[in-house]
Amino acid sequence: MFGLVYNAVNPGVYGFANITIGYFDIVLAYIVAIVISVLVALILRVPLLPSKPYRYSFDVSAVYPTPIIAVGILSLFLVLNYTFAYNGLLLAMIIGIFSGVFVKYFFYFVFPSPDMGEDVNE
Amino acid sequence: MNEIIGIILAAVICWLNFVIIDTYFGLPQQPGVKGARLVGEAIKKRNGDIAGGFFQGNVLCSPDASAGTLLAAIGFLVLGIPGGIIAAFFVFIGNRLCADPGYAGTVGCLSATVLIFIFSFVGLTAEMFIVGMVIAILTVQGIDQVRASIVLGKIADKFNRHARE
Repeated sequence: MFGLVYNAVNPGVYGFANITIGYFDIVLAYIVAIVISVLVALILRVPLLPSKPYRYSFDVSAVYPTPIIAVGILSLFLVLNYTFAYNGLLLAMIIGIFSGVFVKYFFYFVFPSPDMGEDVNE
Repeated sequence: MNEIIGIILAAVICWLNFVIIDTYFGLPQQPGVKGARLVGEAIKKRNGDIAGGFFQGNVLCSPDASAGTLLAAIGFLVLGIPGGIIAAFFVFIGNRLCADPGYAGTVGCLSATVLIFIFSFVGLTAEMFIVGMVIAILTVQGIDQVRASIVLGKIADKFNRHARE
């Protein structure tokens, strides 16, 4: 059993569903995750840019924070060396679609926007 | 590279990184929460600068580029470049929990990851950046808040981000 755990957490040896992939594949997976997440967010009619003024806006948009969520979750999978099929591209696409859907439908449920009370944004 | 020289260089790089990004994203311009306003007004009462005070209050009250730089260095030490990106993701979550939009924190974290990666070819390691960032944040928050706020206010003036009060 400990051998199974060792194999699962150590990169480069046999894991559950992993093939060690190269640097080119990792960079490609990041680019795919960013592009797919932005595209899915735009298809779901999330605005491209946050509302003005940009620097103080709490609104979600396609360029922020959708790609941040996508690459963050993809990095968690990569450091665990779980890359799934097609050199990580399928995983990147699934995570991109997930983050677009998350930003559109669930973001304010998880991170509620602070209402304009007296304590914030005076 | 010699450790002491490396730590001094890393401290300078971290200081420039987080002060420039925080100032650009408008930390000196307005306090995000009430605690930041109280810090700014307390510093102004001691003959400090109100914009530098807001900067220090905002850094105190939510994870901005300063915390982003520190966490990126720690993530880079543990996991390499993906660690820095994971740190940006977690800093974003922390920002939203602290009633902060989170632009400064995530951008600072990603830029710090890029900087640490570039300077790792010169011989600066992630450990040096962790120590350097602690020293950099000490010069802003720890040694002399009033003088630090005056310096930060001058930088905010240069970036056209000074609080209009």
